[in-house]
Amino acid sequence: MNNQADTIEILTDASSDWQEWLEEFEAAARRTPEMRMRYAFIKTYKPVLDDATYRSFDSMEDYRRWCEDNLPSWLGYGRV
Amino acid sequence: MGAFEYRQAQEINDAFNRNGVRYLFIGKSGAVLLGFPDTTQDAHVFVERSPANGSAIAAALRDLGFSLTQEQTAEIERGKDFVQLKNGPFDLDLVFAPDGIERFEDAWQRHVDVEGFPVCHPDDIIASKAAANRARDRESLPRLKAFRDYWIKQKTMR
Repeated sequence: MNNQADTIEILTDASSDWQEWLEEFEAAARRTPEMRMRYAFIKTYKPVLDDATYRSFDSMEDYRRWCEDNLPSWLGYGRV
Repeated sequence: MGAFEYRQAQEINDAFNRNGVRYLFIGKSGAVLLGFPDTTQDAHVFVERSPANGSAIAAALRDLGFSLTQEQTAEIERGKDFVQLKNGPFDLDLVFAPDGIERFEDAWQRHVDVEGFPVCHPDDIIASKAAANRARDRESLPRLKAFRDYWIKQKTMR
């Protein structure tokens, strides 16, 4: 959960990005939720992942392992 | 199928409310509703695991136009941890047990209402992404945490 140390670390580590991010956050805050979603959602084909109409997993661990074993690594679903 | 749209989020909200589903938008789709400017492809909802909610979810999904087999319906009613649906008018992921969040009730107590959409608190979105520890989340987490700080500051200033 949020704590001060965490916040300070973020602002310090990302200080070079902070101003740019702040401008983006302020611009987004002026948009309606509808506009935010219009700008955010994109659709591209994801190999394997998009090739079945239904999948279910008993545990999140099963799902994570399935992603690592079956999806191309460049999709980024593998754990670090 | 095109990108997920606001209208479809409204349809989810309407159908889930009509059927009494307890749910929250989570993941980047939730963050976007809160105002996080980023791109995403997937809509995720965190749904409470209970027999009554499972039945309500299945009914709501049928209302929305998802075609579920008896077996799939039973799995949703049972509340498998993660269900990926691509058999309806849009793609939707049901998450019954997101990484990093202990109980639905805890997240519900902290949730944020965005124009009628129930959305996880940014801290819970961050907690789930941090616990998932995926490469794609690692990249977006610093910016998401910065957004959380900005969002909280704006909220306290109002």
